[in-house]
Amino acid sequence: MMQIENLERVYHLGKANVAALKGVSFNIEDGEFVAIMGPSGSGKSTLMHILGCLDRPTQGRYYLEGHDISKLSDNQLAEIRNKNIGFVFQQFNLLPRMNSLHNVEIPLIYRHTRRSTRLEKAKKALERVGLGERLHHKPSEVSGGEKQRVAIARALINDPSLILADEPTGNLDTRTGNEIMKIFHNLNQQGHTIIVVTHENEIARQARRVIRLRDGLMVGDEVIGSAV
Amino acid sequence: MLFESFKIAISSLQANKLRTFLSMLGIIIGVGAVISIVSIGSGAQMEVTGQIAGLGSNVINIMPGGARMTGGQLTARTADNFTPELADYIHMLSPSVQNIIPQIQDSGAFTYRDVRVQATIIGTKPAFQEINLYNPSAGRFINQGDLETASQVVVLGSRLARNIFDGEDPLGKRVRLEINRRVLLLTVVGVMEERGGNFMGNFDTQAYVPFSTYTQKISSTQNISQFLAQARSADESREAVAQIDYFLSTYLEDEDNYMILSQEQILDVIHQVTRTLNIMLGGIAGISLLVGGIGIMNIMLVSVTERTREIGIRKALGAKKAHIMNQFLIEALTLSSLGGLVGTLLGWLGAFVIASFGGWALVVSPGSVALALGFSLLVGLFFGLYPAYKAANMDPVIALSYE
Repeated sequence: MMQIENLERVYHLGKANVAALKGVSFNIEDGEFVAIMGPSGSGKSTLMHILGCLDRPTQGRYYLEGHDISKLSDNQLAEIRNKNIGFVFQQFNLLPRMNSLHNVEIPLIYRHTRRSTRLEKAKKALERVGLGERLHHKPSEVSGGEKQRVAIARALINDPSLILADEPTGNLDTRTGNEIMKIFHNLNQQGHTIIVVTHENEIARQARRVIRLRDGLMVGDEVIGSAV
Repeated sequence: MLFESFKIAISSLQANKLRTFLSMLGIIIGVGAVISIVSIGSGAQMEVTGQIAGLGSNVINIMPGGARMTGGQLTARTADNFTPELADYIHMLSPSVQNIIPQIQDSGAFTYRDVRVQATIIGTKPAFQEINLYNPSAGRFINQGDLETASQVVVLGSRLARNIFDGEDPLGKRVRLEINRRVLLLTVVGVMEERGGNFMGNFDTQAYVPFSTYTQKISSTQNISQFLAQARSADESREAVAQIDYFLSTYLEDEDNYMILSQEQILDVIHQVTRTLNIMLGGIAGISLLVGGIGIMNIMLVSVTERTREIGIRKALGAKKAHIMNQFLIEALTLSSLGGLVGTLLGWLGAFVIASFGGWALVVSPGSVALALGFSLLVGLFFGLYPAYKAANMDPVIALSYE
């Protein structure tokens, strides 16, 4: 589903050029559960932005389900993010003034889905992550783990083939973090491709494959036997 | 989608109520000023126009002298030319003139028992009543018979009658008139209705005697104060003025020897003055709308910066540039049109208060409301465009990492 060929990303900071990715190549197949690991400054955030179609590579190719991402316009990228990718962030990134239902329905608004359908789907997605009782709570009224579940429900709402999670347990305690990882496993078993970016070995070990980055280069790509 | 953007706009405006209000203030004041100024302008204009129309119907004043005669003496020739016969010539040669009467006047003093009252005495003809739309409230006005026999009768203005008779019924009473070093005994045959004063003088303190009585028994000269003419209709007023002007310029051989003043001309002047005033005040109101627009732009820029992260999230979730653009444009438009609505209500209220103090009718034209609201929408659109554009073109990665 994803082919990454010799990916480079250079930032122009004033007069200095900083290479965050210096040529990374790998493929990810449908239904994989991959962890991308590396210390801070390794380029894993940059890689995640490109994989999530939030950014374009400076050099190299990235094919997502056959689309050459570097050749698409901003609006086409927005459409791919909307339909094919579900994001889960470390900071949750929920809109504070809206309740869970309204946060979850946002991606459907940008697909021009009817209001009644949106709310129905949002409710189903929240039930899928075990939040059927928290539909009308605002982010400030629920716990960290529940916030992350709302975010996962939002990522699921368009039934994307790829779920991209950037340090999804970074702001959670271990127990809650494990619960969140469990949800990812369930989703993986239901056929979603999952990519988790993390710097924690604990988390990475729960994936089936770990890609390691250091200083903008890939330094490891190993398949771990089985998931939890 | 539009409805969603509208809902988002409302909720973000609600989240900062004081800020929302303050940023709308410029628009509120601007729109309020436009509505009240236009309303006050047209109310006052209607009032003055009504006063002038009340002076009579399609009245044209023709006076001796003119531009050069500013406080100076009339030349003997000009004064001599203004004779009752001239009125007849004008009438014959100006088809658009329905009535024309000579008018002659001087001040005199009435005595009745021990009351002595000063008044302006006007020698005139029956048509005066029709030209000025001015009717007696008791008795009658001067008639053709009075004119033919030069009878010694007088018709009093309402206030003059009260001053002389103090509650007594004036009809049939005889009063002594001292005027031009002569003394006459006149019988009161009528009292005119209340007319009130205006910038042309006060009808209520004048007394009216037959033109022939005046010329035969009061003044030996035939010097006319002015001619009072009436056009056949309002539509013919301009033609009547042109015809009189043409005749007089030929007959008196010099345009400076006479002056023609029609109601139409007075109205034109008033319209011009109010128009100029309206344009000036409208300009001021426009500037305050502009300032209001800048206020909106300022607050929208703040709002865009504050919500950088929200913009990043929305973009990550699939919002296209147009979606973000719409959201912030609609917010700016909501802000400005809300300000416009509040301003309209306040302006209306202001106009109402001033109209009730000024004693004229409240006139709020739908046109001025539409103009003010439309303009405030335009201001919102114009000044919302740049902040919305800025929001729409944010880089999603940078926006997402904004703290």
